[in-house]
Amino acid sequence: MKELVEYIAKSLVDDPSQVKVTEIQGATSVILELSVAPEDMGRVIGRNGRVANAMRTLLRVIAAKQGKRVTLEIV
Amino acid sequence: MSDNESLKPIDITAPSLEEAIDNGLRRLGLTRDDVIIEIIEEGSRGVLGMGSRNAVVRLTPLKPPRYPEPEEMPEPEPPAMPDDEIPDEPFYPVDEDDEDEEQSYQVGRQIAVDLTTEEEARISAETLRELLSQMEIQAEVETYRAEAESSDEEPPWVLDIHGPDLGILIGRRGETLNAVQYITRLIVSRELQRRANIVVDVEGYKMRREQSLRKLAKRMADQACRMGRTVTLEPMPPNERRIIHIALRGDQSVSTESVGAGDQRKVTIIPVLGK
Repeated sequence: MKELVEYIAKSLVDDPSQVKVTEIQGATSVILELSVAPEDMGRVIGRNGRVANAMRTLLRVIAAKQGKRVTLEIV
Repeated sequence: MSDNESLKPIDITAPSLEEAIDNGLRRLGLTRDDVIIEIIEEGSRGVLGMGSRNAVVRLTPLKPPRYPEPEEMPEPEPPAMPDDEIPDEPFYPVDEDDEDEEQSYQVGRQIAVDLTTEEEARISAETLRELLSQMEIQAEVETYRAEAESSDEEPPWVLDIHGPDLGILIGRRGETLNAVQYITRLIVSRELQRRANIVVDVEGYKMRREQSLRKLAKRMADQACRMGRTVTLEPMPPNERRIIHIALRGDQSVSTESVGAGDQRKVTIIPVLGK
C-alpha cells in the first residue's frame, strides 16, 4: 500500500525527493501518512480533495483483499 | 509505420463475437477476407449483466489496414425521428467534470506537438500497468482508438484492462474504475504536458454500461410520457448522467435535468406537456 501511494505521489509532485510515506499496520487496519513538500500539497490533495480521495479508493482495493480498513492521511 | 507494424494483430473485446469482429474490421478498414480471425474468448451473456464475459477476437491483417475513407463512414442518422434509434454517440464520452482538473495543460499543447499520439498511447498503457501492479492486480492492458466522435476531434485512446476477477477494479457504480482513470490521466497528463486523451475501461464494462443506460433512458422517457409525471433515476456518476442526457437529447417529448448534489446527484426525466 505504501508503494502505491509513493508511486502516485512521486508521479504528481514537483519534488519527488520530499515524498515520504509511513505505514502503521494494525490488526484490522492500516494507517498511511503521506508527506510532501509544502508547495506540492495541492497536487496530492487536489481540488475538493479529489486526488486524495482517488488514492483512498485505490488503496481500498488492496486493503479489501487483506481484509483490512485503510486510512490515508496527508500530513 | 512499417509494413510489419501495420500487419500487427489486434485484439478486440465486445459483448458478442459478431460485434467484436465487426468493430475490428471497421477499425482496420478491412473485410473478413483480408484478415485472419482467431477467437480468443467466446464470451457469454451473464444474468443481468453479472458474470457475463466479453467475446475477444484477434484479427491479423493480411494486408495493411486501410482506415475508412470519409465516404465509407455510415451516414449520420437524422435526429429526432421519434421511433429511430438515437444517432450513435461515441462509446466513451468524456466525463463532464473533467475540464476542471486543477492542473491545466492547455499551455503545454505547443510544447508537446512533436509527441505522436502513439506515444500518448504507449505512455498511458505503461502508466496504467505500473499503477495496476502497485495495486497488486494481475491484468493485461489492451490499447485501441475509440470510434471517432467528430471529424475535428481526435477520439480518445481506450485502455481496456483484461484479467480474472476484475470486479473489484470497477467498484460500486464504477467508482474504483473512475479513480483508476482519474489518477492515470493525471500522471500521463503531467508527463505529456497536456491533457491525456484516454479512457480506462475494464473488460468493456463502460461500453456495456453505456448500452444499458441508453436503453434505460428510453424506457424511463416512455414511462414519464405515459404517466405524465417526472421520472427520477438512481444517483449516478457524472459520466453516466451524461450518457442519459445525450441519449434523450433528440427526444422532443421529454427534457432532462440533473438534481441533487455530490454522489446523490441524479437525472430527472420531465415529460414535455402537450406532446
